[in-house]
Amino acid sequence: MDQDSKFTSIHMDAIREVGNIGTGNAATALSKLLGRMVDMDVPVAELVPIYDVAAHYGPPDTPVCAVLIRTEEKFSCSLIFMIEEHRADLLANLIIPMDLSGMDEETQLEIRNSALSEQGNIILGAFLNALSMITGWVLPTTTPAVARDMLGSIMDLVASMFGVLGDSAMLVKTSLHIKDLDEDLGGTVIMIPDPGSLETLLSKLGVL
Amino acid sequence: MVQPVHVGMADLVVSKHPAQLVTLGLGSCIGLVIYDQLSKSAGMVHIMLPDSREAKDIPKPGKFADTAVPLLLSELTKLGVNKAQLRAKMAGGAQMFSMPGKDSAIFAVGARNIEATLKMLTAAGVRLVASDTGGSKGRSVEFSTETMIFTVKTLGSGTKEL
Repeated sequence: MDQDSKFTSIHMDAIREVGNIGTGNAATALSKLLGRMVDMDVPVAELVPIYDVAAHYGPPDTPVCAVLIRTEEKFSCSLIFMIEEHRADLLANLIIPMDLSGMDEETQLEIRNSALSEQGNIILGAFLNALSMITGWVLPTTTPAVARDMLGSIMDLVASMFGVLGDSAMLVKTSLHIKDLDEDLGGTVIMIPDPGSLETLLSKLGVL
Repeated sequence: MVQPVHVGMADLVVSKHPAQLVTLGLGSCIGLVIYDQLSKSAGMVHIMLPDSREAKDIPKPGKFADTAVPLLLSELTKLGVNKAQLRAKMAGGAQMFSMPGKDSAIFAVGARNIEATLKMLTAAGVRLVASDTGGSKGRSVEFSTETMIFTVKTLGSGTKEL
């Protein structure tokens, strides 16, 4: 789907609804994991020129942590959960039952990344479960991969993945916020369908 | 001090001396600079993908390695560069996420970008004098026509001058 004009407001509404249900499910799953209230923002679905994707999410040099999973059968897509790095570490600490301060940096990083990949997996897996419920598709996922880098570099890859399809990216942007903490630990879910997948999904939803 | 010019995704910028060309947050993409050692004219392009052949249309030739390199050279020619004096420096092409098994091809776009860019430079007869490519970390790059130094910054592991 490489022509902006191919998307109508009905398509955008359908995708936004998928984002809505997906994020709702992800918020519930994260809430159960942490034993805390988790709020979500109303999801936004929009078409953005791939060249503007990076700027869309914030300053390109912001350090972030991103967890990625893929599903590849009926509906193939990549899903990314992205959160600012210092927030990512606070989030990881919520499920790490021990004090890491005595350990060397590398071990600390490894443990935090492992916690984050599990949290990302639960959030994104719940998102996909919602999609599975709507469509009836079985959507098995890969093991999660974690990257810590500049926001610009993560988005550079995201833009390239959309770039294979054309010159616009369908961004489903939703945020989760954990309550009762000193700091708002907001993170963002991004769905990147493989070439042709968005059509498959829209047609399953009965709007294409 | 000259005002830095930001080269966004798939953008291509050429300039006479003095200029400061900057690209922030390269992931799998390539930041390629080609410059004339004598006149100090230079151009930078932010390449996203290796091959334009599957694209239906190409609104921004800077997007693909096979269209970006020829366009960069022709824009530099318009500035009156001496082709024999042209040199190239490049950075980027990281694989940000690694997944075991069958999925890795999707994320190996960085490696394909490096390969395609090198191939285009060789075909054009432009000598690559320095590069910092591959790995798993994103980069920000900056080129100054004053010093002809290509500065590569990586989160967490500092700055390299090429």
